[in-house]
Amino acid sequence: MKEIQLNVNGKDYSLNIDENMRLIDLLRDKLGLLGTKEGCGEGECGACTVIMDGETVTSCLVMAFQAHGSEILTIEGLESNGKIHPIQQAFIDVGAVQCGFCTPGMIMSAKALLDKNPNPTREEIREGISGNLCRCTGYNKIVDGVELAINYIEEGK
Amino acid sequence: MKFDIVGKNIIRTDAYSKVTGKALYPQDIYMDNMVYGKTLRSKLPHAYIDIDTSEAEKIEGVIKIFTYKDVPNNSHGVVFKDHEVFCEKKVRRIGDPIAFVVGETEEVCKLALDKIKVDYKELEGVFDPEIAMDENSPKVHGDSNIVYHFKIRKGDIEEGFKNSYVIAENTYKTHMVEHAFLQPEAGVSLIDEEGRVTVMVATQYPHYDREEVASALNIKEEEVRIVNTNIGGAFGGREDISLQIHLALAAYTLKRPVKVVYSREESFIAHAKRHPMIMKCKTGADKDGKLLAMEAEIIGDTGAYASWAPNVLRKAGVHITGPYYIPNVVVDSYAVYTNNPFAGAMRGFGATQVPIAHEQQMDILAEKLGMDPISIRMINIFKQGSVTATGQVLTESVPVEACIKEVVKRMDLFGEEGHNEETW
Amino acid sequence: MKKRGRGIGVSFYGTGYGNGFPDVSKAKVVLHDEGKVGIYVGGTEVGQGAKTALLQIGAETLSISLEQILFISEDTSLMPDSGTAAASRQTYNTGNAVKKACENFKDRLIDIAKEELELNSTHGLKVEKGEIYLEFFPDKRISFKELVDKYGDGTIQGEGEFIAQTVEMDPETGQGAPYWPYTFNACGVELEVDTLTGQVEILDAVFAQDAGKAINPHLVEGQMDGGFAMALGYALFEDLKLDKGRIKSNKFSRYLIPTAMDMIDVKNIIVEDPESTAPYGAKGIGEPVMIPIAPAILNAIYDATGVRIKELPVTPEKLRKALDEANGGGGSD
Repeated sequence: MKEIQLNVNGKDYSLNIDENMRLIDLLRDKLGLLGTKEGCGEGECGACTVIMDGETVTSCLVMAFQAHGSEILTIEGLESNGKIHPIQQAFIDVGAVQCGFCTPGMIMSAKALLDKNPNPTREEIREGISGNLCRCTGYNKIVDGVELAINYIEEGK
Repeated sequence: MKFDIVGKNIIRTDAYSKVTGKALYPQDIYMDNMVYGKTLRSKLPHAYIDIDTSEAEKIEGVIKIFTYKDVPNNSHGVVFKDHEVFCEKKVRRIGDPIAFVVGETEEVCKLALDKIKVDYKELEGVFDPEIAMDENSPKVHGDSNIVYHFKIRKGDIEEGFKNSYVIAENTYKTHMVEHAFLQPEAGVSLIDEEGRVTVMVATQYPHYDREEVASALNIKEEEVRIVNTNIGGAFGGREDISLQIHLALAAYTLKRPVKVVYSREESFIAHAKRHPMIMKCKTGADKDGKLLAMEAEIIGDTGAYASWAPNVLRKAGVHITGPYYIPNVVVDSYAVYTNNPFAGAMRGFGATQVPIAHEQQMDILAEKLGMDPISIRMINIFKQGSVTATGQVLTESVPVEACIKEVVKRMDLFGEEGHNEETW
Repeated sequence: MKKRGRGIGVSFYGTGYGNGFPDVSKAKVVLHDEGKVGIYVGGTEVGQGAKTALLQIGAETLSISLEQILFISEDTSLMPDSGTAAASRQTYNTGNAVKKACENFKDRLIDIAKEELELNSTHGLKVEKGEIYLEFFPDKRISFKELVDKYGDGTIQGEGEFIAQTVEMDPETGQGAPYWPYTFNACGVELEVDTLTGQVEILDAVFAQDAGKAINPHLVEGQMDGGFAMALGYALFEDLKLDKGRIKSNKFSRYLIPTAMDMIDVKNIIVEDPESTAPYGAKGIGEPVMIPIAPAILNAIYDATGVRIKELPVTPEKLRKALDEANGGGGSD
């Protein structure tokens, strides 16, 4: 067992964890943050993407102890003042969601992209979400959703 | 006609829960007093087996190891009941379920899987469907590997080819592929407050699952309840039973909530695949490009279990003409057992494989005749009132000509460089 | 050297279990507290949008807002059997069952309203926006809420069953009517083949899909994009690498499916030609959207290179080898 401190979605935690625990297990099993999904367990599908200190990570490949001292943002942390994030709203509005299993990870990747590059081209959006697999949508409506989110963010929606 | 709601881009009812991560899939269900299950699967494609679970049972935290002995009715399957819940004497593919360990934690279950002894007596396997059709090949089930043979006999095929000015004769092959839905199989089973065995799962057809669970446990359907959670994609891969019976059997026996989550690797071997097909196609047309005859043989490899094989090879056989009127047609479509992973439903269900053949045949005939690919299609395309190779009249809603025209109309949107202009 | 080519694929697809097998969908409609209407139906939402499309069919038929409907399609102890979410049959088959159940429910409401409003006949009674009223004397009206308050939650119900019409084919000749309805489509692609590497890059695509009538165009387009992507993987790279019954590519690091970088913006066109036996003319498109893409790609590869690939998938290695063989090595004209 090992004790770690970390901040998840703006909240500080001090937790005792097994050394072999992965970050995704910490989020899901310890904190009940079930929006982070496991699709492959090898960092290939991106369903478990969260933002760790400003960078996207696949939480199935990060050990929980490696998150000691860091700030983690998950899909549950995107809501502010009772309002969902503009990317979430845009995904709803353009129909970027089908089965939904890739959606939280996809939105986290989109957020990390827009945080760094607020005005990406369609190609840059494709590249930004290329680590997130989706089997349902063919990605185009997801790219539409990120483009619309750019407008929403500019409009302060 | 004017509609208020039909035809409108209504926001999906599940969009909000999915973008916020609140939508629950089976792996997201956690219960008090819950235990875990893991499946022991065959490592060989064709073998007699003998199982010894005694060492594994001694591991602390192992609650019970289920095998064929524990299942009241050990068979299931969507068309033929050729699947066993747990293999008794013989395994027919890599990945066949042999035992199901239930333990206090997933780690305990993993330890137990390693301690179950399976004595394999390997049998010669058959992996090529054409070889499998031979009488002398190893048999996967019973005394023939041919599961199904579908026929079309329409018109006079010899006359059709005799009158043909050009004939294209080719063999096409498609491969076995995977649905790769993003959410691996998972489920939780428990006894609900009304005493029903309840399986919370992601399935395409809950009432079918209920029927199979009730049959395997030898209880009434009313005593079984299937609850769909959100489903992380399916594409046909969630039609056959995967973990539903294992879960229900464990919860029914142990009276505790039982959870199973497959890894991606287990998901790959647990569910069906797309049927690979070998399609031998001979198509004849007259000087003007009018199709006169088609003779096709389709061999579909259904692997170790039939699943939907008869229906898939039937659908392939009906659709191999493509959306074209052909007066003289002979089709023989076969579904064949092998020791490959089993094939079943996947998006298109046999109708996805056959255009690999018929659409290339059309282009080949067009080239032989010096025609362009659009013209040859327009001459033969189904219209309202056309009759299919099975004698069915297409009485309405046949806008395939309109579809082709829409595509052709927008071809000028294509880039200007490198076009082979005479093609279109 | 890079070579460009174009190709077309055209297909048809017959909906449903087919071949005379009973293909049955059932639905139930129930009046609940507060005048809400419960639609109970076993049509599974796998991600394709069945729940939304069926809800739209229900709301259209009942002439009420979506918010007034409770849609229950998850629990076998609550909902009737509507068959499988497969064979592209939910919109057509289960959509029909929902429509019939809603119509039956409206008939029940009208019968009861006639009594409650002390009318001689049901003629002229209309159901709209949660009320039943007499069209030419609208003062005669009663709301769903008033009815449920009087009759109780769950008392007023409607039912609907739809059985698709197919005819079993003769075992010797295959003559019969195996499916209904049929759905059609055509796809054109332009692509570029790198003759040195065998890589295929899709440059442009136009995809026209018959939907009968699109219940929800965004959902249809989403299916078309998704079908295109899945077919792209099927045609060009997805491969389980089977070896004596063993799947060698058994995870996503080995079994590659298309990413956002592999996809292009497909020009999707929904072609409408309503089918009279379908709910509001709508036919299923979930499977058809995958079918014409791979053959269009194969025909375009031939157009670009003069090499015809008859075995899937068209991996770069396979295509390069075929190009070398066709040109006696060298991979150019």
